[in-house]
Parts: sequence; C-alpha cells; structure tokens
Amino acid sequence: MPLEGDLVVLREERRGDQKLFAEWRNDLATQAWGQSLPPSFTEEMHVKRFEAMEFSFKPAGARLPIVHKATGEVAGYIAYTDLEPRLSASIGLVVAKAFWGTRVGLDAQETLLRFLFSELGLRVVHLWTHSGNPRAVGLAEKSGFRITVRIREAVYKNGKLLDTLAMSLTRDDYYARRPELTDALPDPVRVLRGA
Amino acid sequence: MGGRSFETERIALRALDPDDAAPLHSYLNDDAVLGRRYVPGSVRDAEPLSRSHVAGILEEWGKEKTGFTLGVLAKASGRLIGHATCEWPWDPHCPSISLVIAPSEQRAGYGSEVVRLLVAHLFLDTPAHTITGWIASWNEPALAFAAAHGFAECGRIPRAGVRNGSYYEQVVVDLLRREWTARQGGSHAA
Repeated sequence: MPLEGDLVVLREERRGDQKLFAEWRNDLATQAWGQSLPPSFTEEMHVKRFEAMEFSFKPAGARLPIVHKATGEVAGYIAYTDLEPRLSASIGLVVAKAFWGTRVGLDAQETLLRFLFSELGLRVVHLWTHSGNPRAVGLAEKSGFRITVRIREAVYKNGKLLDTLAMSLTRDDYYARRPELTDALPDPVRVLRGA
Repeated sequence: MGGRSFETERIALRALDPDDAAPLHSYLNDDAVLGRRYVPGSVRDAEPLSRSHVAGILEEWGKEKTGFTLGVLAKASGRLIGHATCEWPWDPHCPSISLVIAPSEQRAGYGSEVVRLLVAHLFLDTPAHTITGWIASWNEPALAFAAAHGFAECGRIPRAGVRNGSYYEQVVVDLLRREWTARQGGSHAA
C-alpha cells in the first residue's frame, strides 16, 4: 500500500528526481533552509548523494517525492529525519512554486504524519522553521503543530534577523484532532501510572 | 579571530587526547552524570559506557569541524575534571554550548568559570549572535545554572525522552550578544 493521500502519493526517491531537487535547492524561496545557500548545486551533486544511499531496514529517515495524482508531476518532497524509534522524528517539506496554494503540501504533510504515528508509532513529531516563513508555520498549524521553542534572532536571512521556531505535534494531540482514527498503541508512561 | 586565553587561575581548557580516556570513563559512568553527558555517538545517554565507547567518543571529538570540545583541567591537581563543547552545525551565528563537570568537583565554581570562558570566546572571537543551551527538564541544577549566567528559557520541546517513568522535555535557553555585553557593564572593547 503506497503512502497515499487525497491529492498526492509519496513514493521512493529516484535518479530522475535529482534535477528537480537541484532546482529547488538553488531557489531561495524553496531551499527551505535556516541559512541561505548559493545557487551552486548541480544535478550531478544530487545524483552522487542519491547513489551513495545504502539499503537499510533501520533508516533514520527518508526523503519522499510528492507526486500530484491528478497530473503525475512531482510537486515537491517531504522528509523525516532524526528518527528516534517509537519516540520522535522531525519533518521537512519543500513544495514547488507551481503547487503553492493547492493544498498539495498539507495533503503530503497529513499523509506522512499518518505514517509516522500509525505505522512507526511515534509519540511526537517536530519541525523546524523560522519566523520569516509564515507559510510554513500556518501549514504546520493546520495539522495541529504548536510552536514550542522560539530561539531569538538565531537566523539571518533576507536581510533580517529572525527567530528559529520549533513546532511539535504530540501523539495525543494528533489523535485528538482526528476522531476518525483510533490509537491502539498504549502510551508506555500512562501504562506505568495505571492510567 | 582567536588569541583569547582558555584559562583562569584555577582551570585550563585544553584539547583532549587518548590519554584522557581513563578519567573520562570514570566520571561519564558516574550515576550523577547519566542522562546529561553531552557526548557524541550512538550510545544512549543513560547507559554504562565501556572503554571502547569512550575511545570512540574521543575520536569523534577529534573530528569535529563545526565546533570543538575541550577538556577542563584543574590546575592545582592537574586532573581532568570535565569537558565543554561549543558547536554550530548550521551557522556560527547561533552556536550552542554544553558543559559537564565531574560530580566530585561540582559546587566549587568550576562550571561558572568554564561557561564564562566559552561565552567570552564565542562573543569576542567569533560571529556568534545568539548562544543556545539544551537542558533536560529534570536537570533543575543546570536550568538554574543557565539562568544565573544570563540565559533565558525560550521554550520546551515535548517528549524529548523517558526517565524514571515519565516523559521529560528538552528546555532550550538562549543568550544574545547584546544581553551579555550589558551584563559585562555595557561595552566590551577588545
């Protein structure tokens, strides 16, 4: 069963995706970085990174291209990193400009969250952004993320000092917002307390 | 950049060597340090460390490219009494610091001397604008220590881990260059 939402499918990364990844990395609007990067990334660099990936049954993360079901186009990618099995991971999202405002990003985010909570059994998912990216903050809030940390003036970007923001979505909050889903995984701490 | 002395009357911060493995192995396995070791590697923070784990930690510290870890030496005894790290994985604009003092040497003011040296180095010798610290919420002495040195809490990351049957949070603290300068008396000419 693929990771499929209403509008998108999240699939494995392929060699042919690397040209788009380089393009997005070279665009200040889509590189999704707390520190600006020069437009010096090439398709060949991305192919090398892709070819260096190794098989593992215990990946610490994944980068999943977002395929727009209606057109078949790759509309961006969503990733999770820093996986602490059965506890936490951080997610990151890049959406191609042509798909901004189309709900593709939200659908991809919801699809990945369902995998992280319902399949990997995480207790919390985090993401990192900055105060100059209200689009990212708003999208995260639509899925229930809350700002949990604001590191003052930790980012300098676009000529401005910005705050680094950590946003978190706990398992409890995830299921509370989605009554159609049932959480059958006991919370280990609640079990200890007899709750 | 650089040139600032990494020492006070009582302590010196110096690079770590393989010969430091024995004292490091000793204090990293002290119960009072479990869960707040601030060491690299895949070994979990609350489980016993072998000598080969410690050798691996020293090796990792020796490879650091976006930061550094120094040993804390007590001048009077010549003993290694702790370690301290400054790192900036993304951007030297916003580095973080961490510090461990061997439990047998705590409450003697060594930690304060170390943090003053590191913060002065970062603000006077590097482009640092915001310095952060990352502290488990159960570590109340460290939270009080950070506050005493001017760090302000800027949030808590939930479900950072489980300890003694409860979730704990990762408390993030920060200190801005201008706040530090004000604490020094308003200016800091080199």
